[in-house]
Amino acid sequence: MSPVHLFALAAQHANWVSVRQTAVTGNIANANTPGYSALDVEPFSAVLNDTAATMARTAAGHFEMVRDGAAGSGSAPWEVRDTGTQVALDKELMKADEINRSFALDTSILRSFHRMLMTSLRSGA
Amino acid sequence: MIDPLRAATQIAGAGLEAQSTRLRVVSENLANAQSTAKIPGGDPYQRKMVTFQSEFDRLIGSSSVSVTSIGGDPTPFEVEYDPGNPAADADGNVKMPNVNLVIEMADMREASRSYEANLQMVKQVRSMTTMMLDLLRNG
Repeated sequence: MSPVHLFALAAQHANWVSVRQTAVTGNIANANTPGYSALDVEPFSAVLNDTAATMARTAAGHFEMVRDGAAGSGSAPWEVRDTGTQVALDKELMKADEINRSFALDTSILRSFHRMLMTSLRSGA
Repeated sequence: MIDPLRAATQIAGAGLEAQSTRLRVVSENLANAQSTAKIPGGDPYQRKMVTFQSEFDRLIGSSSVSVTSIGGDPTPFEVEYDPGNPAADADGNVKMPNVNLVIEMADMREASRSYEANLQMVKQVRSMTTMMLDLLRNG
């Protein structure tokens, strides 16, 4: 049976969201700093594209993939990029709200996966 | 690099500190809006200004904020004719501080708005941490 990567992906997304939260907080703290331009994290889809590029190894002659499934490139920190635009407080606060919502989604997904596992454990007993 | 959420709290804390320094300087300016010189013909209180600088913190791996300097505003002083004032020069002219109440009020509003935004970030980090901890409680 192939390993289930539900937890890994949700946890990775939660981690990405926290990094983004740090970037947004930095932008808001520097809202009145002259010459400061807003920072943002590279989109999560880039992380996903990097993650999904793995293939099954069906014959002995195939190359062995070091990474498997949704484990991705591990705990490599995401690149925080300079967007080159000035900080707009309203935009940053909207971003912060979006972050809050997706973090809530991540934690509920983790909880429901956990509940699924617990259900199967209990029914097996 | 430390946990991003903790880093966010630290950055927001630095932002709160910077904005409260700014608010302190605004109240200094307002309090001294009428302060003239001690000696006749001398310079009165000079308006102070805060400058912020973004600083990259290696430990938290992101950019924090700090107050670099509290400098004087080089705008020329206003001269009023008031011979009875102890700070008046030989011609009876008194130099008044270059504090403009409207500008100070606008600055105060901006400082308080930015303070609120930073505080909002602290609240949000706390709610995110609570969500994470709730996973342990009834996951």
